Amino acid sequence: MAKPYNKVYTNENGISLNLHPQDVENHEEYNITVIQEHGHCPVSINIHPKKDSLSKVNVRIYAENDASVDCILSCYVAKDASGVDTDMQIRSWPFDKSRIQARPEMFVLNNDIKAAHGNALGTLSQEDRYYLHSKGITNYKDILKESLYEK
Amino acid sequence: MLRIKGLKASINGKPILDGIDIEANPGDCILVTGHNGSGKSTLLHTIMGRPDIEVEGEIAFNDVDVLELECFERSRNGFFIAHQSPPTLDGVNTLSLFSEFAKFDAPDARKIEIIRKTKGVFEELSLPTDWTQRDFNHGASGGERKKNELAQAKLKTPNVLLLDEPDSGLEQSSRSQVTDLIKSVCDNGGIVFLVTHDQLLQDSYPTKKIELSNGQTL
Repeated sequence: MAKPYNKVYTNENGISLNLHPQDVENHEEYNITVIQEHGHCPVSINIHPKKDSLSKVNVRIYAENDASVDCILSCYVAKDASGVDTDMQIRSWPFDKSRIQARPEMFVLNNDIKAAHGNALGTLSQEDRYYLHSKGITNYKDILKESLYEK
Repeated sequence: MLRIKGLKASINGKPILDGIDIEANPGDCILVTGHNGSGKSTLLHTIMGRPDIEVEGEIAFNDVDVLELECFERSRNGFFIAHQSPPTLDGVNTLSLFSEFAKFDAPDARKIEIIRKTKGVFEELSLPTDWTQRDFNHGASGGERKKNELAQAKLKTPNVLLLDEPDSGLEQSSRSQVTDLIKSVCDNGGIVFLVTHDQLLQDSYPTKKIELSNGQTL
């Protein structure tokens, strides 16, 4: 298994990535984190899995203040790319007055593949907030941001 | 000393506790029993200060009016609850969170010491080796979540430890960790409230027992 590709982008003006997962022996995991404290950042990530490739793409987006992020995560499975197994997940945390729009897309031209996607947005539920407060923690935003930096 | 007097609690206008009186001394472990829905968990969360519980009455700990304290202030004053269903926190690294927990007890501790201590506790509880790097409770079984709660309690020195079914989902061999924790807190002069349906745990340590029925003590 290949080492995961981990990359953190901070306060970018724009991000454009083309990922090419190779073959099944070379399972590829991509962990892409976008931390936006101000300004606008359009994000375009395109996955082009090869035949019999296994891949997982995790995109994490954190925005605060008045920052905004528009993200499109697209997967293109070509007609000859049978045996593809791909999973793409987006998790977004908008704080303060920030705005995040994120969307996974799939363009699949082969029937013999497995593809999954997920898209979740939100900060803390009332129960999660109580849980953290019951442990004395009130600076969730800071801890999350630090954790994402460390990824 | 923890004194609870005439405690009433309701959630969304529905009464759950109706006039509870308890006195607990340093070293006491109080077993809280009762049928499902009798108010056992609500009692623990009321003591901890869950914000959606409306409370009347009195809770005093060493002459401090606990009801005047916010939930996080109670935690920072030595109250600790091990939750029955701890959540998953996406994106939040387990070790970062444990480092924050540890700061309240040891604000001057170096990060490397916190990491060493935390990893030691995880090993004691047989948690996976990559546990510190995972998102909090991400991919964790029910038993692993319970161990995560026990790990936090072990790293702190609670004055008041609230255990809400700490054994459920936990393998038999790890249950001694619960009794060791209770003993350690009590030996240190702390007070433990234990809610459990496990007979072995019920027989193991508690020094007092209260039984709840319809929100009242029998």
